[in-house]
Amino acid sequence: MPTSILYLSFVLVPVVLTVILSFSYYDPMMGSHWVGLDNYTRFFTNPRSLQIFWNTLRFTFFAVTFNVSIGLILAIALNRAMPGWLLYFFRLAFFLPVIIAAAFVSIVWSYFFGDDLGVINYFLRLVGLSNVRWLTDSGMAMTSIIIMDVWKNTGFFMIIFIAALQGLPKPITEAALMDGTPPWRQFFRITLPYISPVVFFCIVYASIGALQVYESIVILTKGGPGDATRSLSILIVEEGFGSFQIGYAAAISVVMTVIILIITGIQQMLSRRWVQR
Amino acid sequence: MTSAALQTRSMKRTLDALIIAVMIVLAIGMLLPFLWLFSTSFRPTAEAYKLPPSFLPPNLDLVNYAKVFASRVPFIQIYLNSVLIAAVVTVGQLVTCTLAAFAFSRLKFKGRDALFVVLLIGLMFPAQVTILPIYLGYARIGLINQPIGLALMYLTSSFGVFLMRQFMLSQPRELEEAGLMDGASYLKIFWRISLPQLRPALSALGIITFTQTWNYYFQARVLLAKETSMTLPVGMDVLRGYLQSGSLSLVMAAMSMSILPVVLLFLIAQKFVIEGITMSGIKS
Repeated sequence: MPTSILYLSFVLVPVVLTVILSFSYYDPMMGSHWVGLDNYTRFFTNPRSLQIFWNTLRFTFFAVTFNVSIGLILAIALNRAMPGWLLYFFRLAFFLPVIIAAAFVSIVWSYFFGDDLGVINYFLRLVGLSNVRWLTDSGMAMTSIIIMDVWKNTGFFMIIFIAALQGLPKPITEAALMDGTPPWRQFFRITLPYISPVVFFCIVYASIGALQVYESIVILTKGGPGDATRSLSILIVEEGFGSFQIGYAAAISVVMTVIILIITGIQQMLSRRWVQR
Repeated sequence: MTSAALQTRSMKRTLDALIIAVMIVLAIGMLLPFLWLFSTSFRPTAEAYKLPPSFLPPNLDLVNYAKVFASRVPFIQIYLNSVLIAAVVTVGQLVTCTLAAFAFSRLKFKGRDALFVVLLIGLMFPAQVTILPIYLGYARIGLINQPIGLALMYLTSSFGVFLMRQFMLSQPRELEEAGLMDGASYLKIFWRISLPQLRPALSALGIITFTQTWNYYFQARVLLAKETSMTLPVGMDVLRGYLQSGSLSLVMAAMSMSILPVVLLFLIAQKFVIEGITMSGIKS
């Protein structure tokens, strides 16, 4: 089958090769040799790579939290009767950022986040506030990238949650309404438990995406100021294709993959528990 | 119905209207970056940075668009590369994913379920973990800086097989079984009976794949670094670098043209996109 061959040559074999590479020093000219765990030790003992690792985890945590929770809030807000054209408009507005490349919208946002000529700062000054150095302040830059990421991706989770909410059995919600159950209570007692597997899927899906964050940072800050926003993906490209530390870059990508596997594994375990209950 | 119930009902209606009003404001806010990029592409270059920002085009003069084609960046070539890669990958995935999904949902063979699990595991591997060996391999066979190299990587996808299989499992198989009884071959059954039923799923997969491929950046940046082999997402960054601050309007004109296919696709086929996304999201 063509799928098997393609899958083998572009997914499975490369993954295995990357793992092998991660234990070696790769040099096609002078000859490669094994280095054992050296690449991994280097990654986990170097303050700079640890800083970058931490940046990536921090970005992932906040991006996932806001993307999923805001997506859920938006879905609850939109999960009510409305004319078809209005629904079309809402889907358009919230989903358009999802399907346009991060590389494109990041360029637009880089002008929104500008200092004196920035669009956002213009409006801040208009209401009497002072400029925010969105991308040039090392304490602010990561927040700005997360803001853009949430703008871009939260619509995806909104769409998924709307579908999940529509699967909610009507009689239950109506009974709750008749009983006079307060809405917040109805949400935590009925809605949330019912859609919890979907919430879980969204968290995992969002985490896998966020851990790979690359182009939005490359375009907005190039990883700076300093290393304040540099992510693992940027480091992989810099080490692998900039300084040709292929083995080291491979080790970093294996670390990233292992984290993804762990997150997915936890989800699988928990969702199995859910089904049993 | 008691008056209290009536009261809550009318309160609910007011609340509904209020929430929808807030959402309309939010939705317009979501669209602002796109309105800004589109209107800036029509501003005279000297006024591109002028504040207040414009969110509606001041004119419909295409002079900035014309300048993009005259710039030092081979924009047409880059555009064609993107079209080529997206077209090859989309067609490729529709074929390979449908065939594989057919096998996984309709045929019985040894190790089928195990093989499917192996395929699903592929969903978890990011491009970062496969790109190094692919790059080294491509370097050896001369596929670096060849647009077709990027396309080859994505001729099939675990996601696509998964999506198509889910859909096929939800389809009745009586017709196919009847065909089998009549002595038709598997290929004929697939072509005449299964395929026509699959139109909605094929549309969804096609649109999702096209959009995804159009947007690849990480892989494209690594494999296609030469200007004549670039795709639009990377090319846009290069264009911005070349033009520097002087010609923001030009960058935005190039950008408008670059996002056009995806925006059009979404405007026309919003239903399929949303269905495809939710279909894959909910069932996994």
